[in-house]
Amino acid sequence: MNRRTLLALSAATFTAVAMPALAQSDWPERPVRILVSFPPGGSSDLVARLLSEKLSASLGAQFVVENKPGAAGTVAASALQQAEPDGYTLMLSNLTPFSVAPIRFPDTPYDPIADFDHITYVGTVHLGLFAAPIVGATDLASFVEMAKADPGKFEYGSSGVGSWGHIIAEQFQDETGAELFHIPYKGSGPMRLDFMGGVVPMIFDAVPQNLPAVEDGTAIPLAVSAPERIASLPDVPTFVESGYDIVAENWLGVSAPAGVPAEIKAKLDAALLDAMEMQDVQAQFDSWGLIRKPKTSAEFSTYVAEQLTQWTPLVEAVSK
Amino acid sequence: MDLLANLALGLATAATAQNLFYCFVGVFLGTFIGVLPGVGPLAAVAMLLPVSFYLPPETALVMLAGVYYGAEYGGSIASILLNIPGTPSASVTCLDGYPMAQQGRAGVALFSTAIASMFGAMFGVVVMVLLAPKLAEFALLFQPAEYFSVMVLGLVAASVVSSSGAVRGLMMVCLGILLGTVGVDVNSGETRFTGGIQELRDGVSLVVVAMGLFGISEVMVSLRGATQSYAGAGLTGRLLPTRSEWQRSFMPAIRGSTVGSFFGTLPGTGQTVASFVGYALEKRVNRNRAEFGKGAIEGVVVPESANNAAAQTAFIPTLTLGIPGSTTMALMLGALMIHGITPGPRLIAEHPDLFWGLVVSFVFGNIFLLILNIPLIGIWVRLLRVPHYYLYPTVIVLICVGVFGISNSLTDVWATLTFGVIGYVLRLFRFEPAPMLIGFVLGPMMEEYFRRAMLLSRGDPTVFISRPGSAALLAVAAFLLAATILPWKQWVLQGMSAVRNVGLK
Repeated sequence: MNRRTLLALSAATFTAVAMPALAQSDWPERPVRILVSFPPGGSSDLVARLLSEKLSASLGAQFVVENKPGAAGTVAASALQQAEPDGYTLMLSNLTPFSVAPIRFPDTPYDPIADFDHITYVGTVHLGLFAAPIVGATDLASFVEMAKADPGKFEYGSSGVGSWGHIIAEQFQDETGAELFHIPYKGSGPMRLDFMGGVVPMIFDAVPQNLPAVEDGTAIPLAVSAPERIASLPDVPTFVESGYDIVAENWLGVSAPAGVPAEIKAKLDAALLDAMEMQDVQAQFDSWGLIRKPKTSAEFSTYVAEQLTQWTPLVEAVSK
Repeated sequence: MDLLANLALGLATAATAQNLFYCFVGVFLGTFIGVLPGVGPLAAVAMLLPVSFYLPPETALVMLAGVYYGAEYGGSIASILLNIPGTPSASVTCLDGYPMAQQGRAGVALFSTAIASMFGAMFGVVVMVLLAPKLAEFALLFQPAEYFSVMVLGLVAASVVSSSGAVRGLMMVCLGILLGTVGVDVNSGETRFTGGIQELRDGVSLVVVAMGLFGISEVMVSLRGATQSYAGAGLTGRLLPTRSEWQRSFMPAIRGSTVGSFFGTLPGTGQTVASFVGYALEKRVNRNRAEFGKGAIEGVVVPESANNAAAQTAFIPTLTLGIPGSTTMALMLGALMIHGITPGPRLIAEHPDLFWGLVVSFVFGNIFLLILNIPLIGIWVRLLRVPHYYLYPTVIVLICVGVFGISNSLTDVWATLTFGVIGYVLRLFRFEPAPMLIGFVLGPMMEEYFRRAMLLSRGDPTVFISRPGSAALLAVAAFLLAATILPWKQWVLQGMSAVRNVGLK
């Protein structure tokens, strides 16, 4: 074998090996936007920032968080739908714009399933029912009994009309036959303020942000909306084990406009899974109360569709 | 003593080289961001958040907090020089700051705002040190009925903010309230007056309204040549206020700081409400009230001491209850969450070094700000020498960039320009934007708290007078209103002459 043949051969081998790799490594060659449907500072925003930092490191292009809050997350989701499916616009997708808003607002300009590729599952936050100490209820059964004895006496706060807290509270009243009085707020912050001040005795709110109050004894958790008990509140029963068919998961994931090339999706999914395996990321997720049972990309797609089916009748009941 | 031990702990935390450095970085950035119209502390804190991943939590908080209160210092500079507020809370400072600059007293105005800012901030820090836990309890005592009544008081006071007559002022307040009704109604979840525009579902943003009405419209007014160029006058002025100006400023600064500290502790109200209400109340009680709106030094001292005091005391509910009063505060709590600290009622007990370190860093930060701002006054004043055909396009670009940066929404940029045109037309007919802005800020909050209080009382309106706090606030509002409408002075004079006549007989 002379030198020229060797060169040609090695070049050929190199090309053969390099070609598929090149096709994959095309993406990302410029900054990737991750849309977030919340203003900066909330836990979802932090999740996006943490993941984008890890992705920037592992994929070698900047992943930039872009906050597009507004209209129950539909501003961000609409922007995602209109973006090119080239892998350069992604979104930290979640329950509200994909499982609730499209039913609540019939003029929502996108189909939450058909218009998107839901690529990677990130995790879930659960909802809890919390009572102020003055209520005197120590468990779910005793509260249901008190509420039934005095219909309409107990106010509960939610983070807004049509928020998941409100929807689940309605379902709770249907299931238990108890009658509560709804006080809607603009977001969870003002609601928790009034809860601490004794204005509203009950709240339906996400679990993690209420954990300090639980430790402090100012909030008594009665039940959580997870399918099974959660690590941060191991002594608190689920609604399901108390005999009520209530499960609510505020899921987070990474989604893109429909039609992103398969190899980009695979590469992104792999990079995200690697990032979420990292110890510091897991520690952060734990401290934010984000619970994660890994799903494959296909499972996540199915999951989003199932969530829409699960929430549709509940949202319709509230929107009437 | 507990307090001394706490302060010693705070000093030990804040006075490390690293924390002092990041405190300086924070206030330095904050003050410049505040100067730029439209670009606010929210954008700056959001940009710096990733940096805080790599810092210890107390250092991160010290830096981000520095940006937050530093912006209040810078916000007034463009208000005074260009009649364009750098931050919404500096809108009120335009009312007297700009006339002062036109009279060639730009230097004095800038100097007194720097001092007033420092005074207000330090006042807020002292309040925080002495009363933080108590004030948190106080904030919790404030229920929807009290919130409603304090908003009523604010609106009554606000009707005098306009210098072109009470009727015109009230009309603008009402227009502001109407504008505030746009968006999803809290109680029913129905959308109001959005015209089917998705972006309007959450209402119009404060920054959009403030920057449009004050910033863009000011540029349009000056293009028309309606304002006289005063560049020459602005440059020659002295820096130091006269002895009488010092004396006139002292009590207003204390009143402004008190009002500011109060509103800062109420989550959700914040610096803009504080500066407006402070100015409005001062205009009621001050002996020189006739000069307000024509370049009274009190007119810059009060809002600046109020918004800076509020910027400090706003940390009380945020840190003691773990509930952010504004989006920027939410970001700062986010910086803590990155480090695994979930803010809640036990934050001070569990992380005393963090809380007290931050408080002591406020003192350092404010000293840095004063040292930074005084020498810069000369440079800022010289900014007026920049020809308008460079300056104004720059201002418009900055406003658009700033507004876009908040929500990444082009709709908001168009809305700002639209409000600029609206503001221009209103000003042609001598309607002032300031009362409109306060109506816009207070109106929706008033509605929300009114309806929540009514929900909680199951429709019984006596809740507003049966709760002592609410009743007291409403009584003060009624008294203020009576003092404005009824011709007391005339009655007193008549009474006195009647007495004199009787005496003569």
